[in-house]
Amino acid sequence: MAIRTDVVRLYRQVHTWTGILTGLILFVCFYAGALTMFKEPLERWITPSAEVAPVAFERAGELIATTRALRPKVRDFTLAMEPVLTGAAPLRLTWTEGRFDPAPWSATLEPDGSVAVKKLDPSGIGLLVDFLHRTAGIPGDLDIGTLVTGVASALYLVALVSGVIILLPSLVRDFLALRVTANLKRLWLDAHNILGLVSLPFHIVIALSAVVFGLHDQIYDTLNQVVYKGQMRTAIAASSPFRAAAKDMRPAAMLPPPDLLKRTRDLSPGFHPVGLEYHDAGTRAATVRVWGHDPRYLVRREGFVLMGAVDGRIISTEYMPGHQGVWSAVVSSFFALHFGSFGGSIVRWSYFGLGLAGALLFYSGNLLWIESRRRTERRAGGPVAQSRSTSLLAAATVGVCLGCVGGLSLTIAAGKWLNGVVSDLHAWHWGIYYATFLGACAWAFRRGAARAGVELLWASAAATAAIPATSLLSWLAPGPVPWVPGRLAGVDLVALAGALALAGMARLAERRARTGPRDSVWSVQEGGMESHPAANAAD
Amino acid sequence: MADVRPDSPPQPPVRPDWWSKSLAGVLLGFTLAIALSGLITWLGPGGPAAINKYQFTMWIVAPIWLGVVSFCFLFRSGLRAWLWLGGANLIAFAALLASRGRLPH
Repeated sequence: MAIRTDVVRLYRQVHTWTGILTGLILFVCFYAGALTMFKEPLERWITPSAEVAPVAFERAGELIATTRALRPKVRDFTLAMEPVLTGAAPLRLTWTEGRFDPAPWSATLEPDGSVAVKKLDPSGIGLLVDFLHRTAGIPGDLDIGTLVTGVASALYLVALVSGVIILLPSLVRDFLALRVTANLKRLWLDAHNILGLVSLPFHIVIALSAVVFGLHDQIYDTLNQVVYKGQMRTAIAASSPFRAAAKDMRPAAMLPPPDLLKRTRDLSPGFHPVGLEYHDAGTRAATVRVWGHDPRYLVRREGFVLMGAVDGRIISTEYMPGHQGVWSAVVSSFFALHFGSFGGSIVRWSYFGLGLAGALLFYSGNLLWIESRRRTERRAGGPVAQSRSTSLLAAATVGVCLGCVGGLSLTIAAGKWLNGVVSDLHAWHWGIYYATFLGACAWAFRRGAARAGVELLWASAAATAAIPATSLLSWLAPGPVPWVPGRLAGVDLVALAGALALAGMARLAERRARTGPRDSVWSVQEGGMESHPAANAAD
Repeated sequence: MADVRPDSPPQPPVRPDWWSKSLAGVLLGFTLAIALSGLITWLGPGGPAAINKYQFTMWIVAPIWLGVVSFCFLFRSGLRAWLWLGGANLIAFAALLASRGRLPH
């Protein structure tokens, strides 16, 4: 396809600027995002569940009634089904005191029929991974972080479009050509282009939906003023599944959970319920959302049917897969395409792989930026020092990317050691991640990209290898770390593969630093810039 | 994105005009996306009160807006970007004002 060269040149600049502004933010979002696909197995790897005394699901009604009598003020709670039916967790009600409460309350039936209420203490690794995915780790309020990643995602979409435009002229000739020659820049460029093109649909979907997740408040506010004349709340209220729920707060007896599930099955036999979420329980206004999956449809993480908990009538199916209105179904599919919450484990693994490939795409983009600004000895006719900007970006790339990878691996591995030893594992997870991340960044700027790159790659490989090593150790010498045999080899195998990959990269980077061309930010040889701090400072 | 054939008259090169084009794309692209989303709200199937349509029309803002930002560098100059996008905004907002009615309660 022929595109005028001046247009291509223009879009190359657009691509460079949007890419360089967002690359590091997006790396963290994508790496953490890949891990969010498996945050439940990670959580279970750190805090293996203790032996569960089985309580039949049929006793859920008894549990609810006794808990209600014990804690009459608690009207909103959830009854998880799946872990009960698989024996992974006891039959219990849970409720939280805020949206991102790391430690929910739990109520379980004791053998004598009484109810025990206690605060749960999940490791919180899922919350940390989720927070990093949404905010790239920008500390403070979640809203600020998501606003930043929302804007970064907008630039990322422009980077995608401009990247495709500059590729189009050479697309037919170069597509899927990976030229493994002495020209390393060519190899990185080919790899960058293949990664970008092959996963382009995924990236467009992720970019657009991430813009919406980051900026929906601002867009809704504008639409409310301009389109709805300040009356959007009527449209929102008219769409709420709760609009037809009763408002009567007088006490009333509720139907037992198995009854509610039977009604759900009658409505949609293909729907697979995973939990019941109660609202205003014990009153005539009581409702229950039966959450669940239906692999035949694109739904948000889960869909639900809203029922009256007292009379069992179906109040709304607007979020029930296969029973949605057309607008709801389309919007649900947008969510599903971002979350990868469809098609089962194949899609889950694909999204994991695509997320990691995305992180690699941004990493290689930064490498290309550095490489295209390289000062060569051939042109200068003698030893050269690289520019300050390329040295700084190289150090930032190495520090941020490897700080994120190493920090997450270390905090996961440490979680298993600290579980049961410290009282607030959740806070430890965050502390370990941020200490490692900031330490890696400081190290990269202090040592320079060439040395720090090798060292941080080895450190990340070691931190990642600590995950299967911890499992192995706890298996060989059960003691400080509880080991659940045969359950979670998946986390260990993936971490082992990751550690080997990082070690391989470390060896390559080491060789490059020692014997590669010395006129580069990645060289540690005499005559390279690393040995000329004076020349660097004079730059 | 025209092919440059030997017989076609040479076209003047596209001016970069970074600031002017970027601002036009980001600002006028956003307002255009809001207006087009509003037209879908009021004129699209189901009218403004269709269940959960307000979510769809919010989502649709992002692709329109960023599509404009992405392609606005194809305008031959920043001035042209402002004129074309400004004109498109005028038309879209005139249509939106004409189509906005009362929200049913």
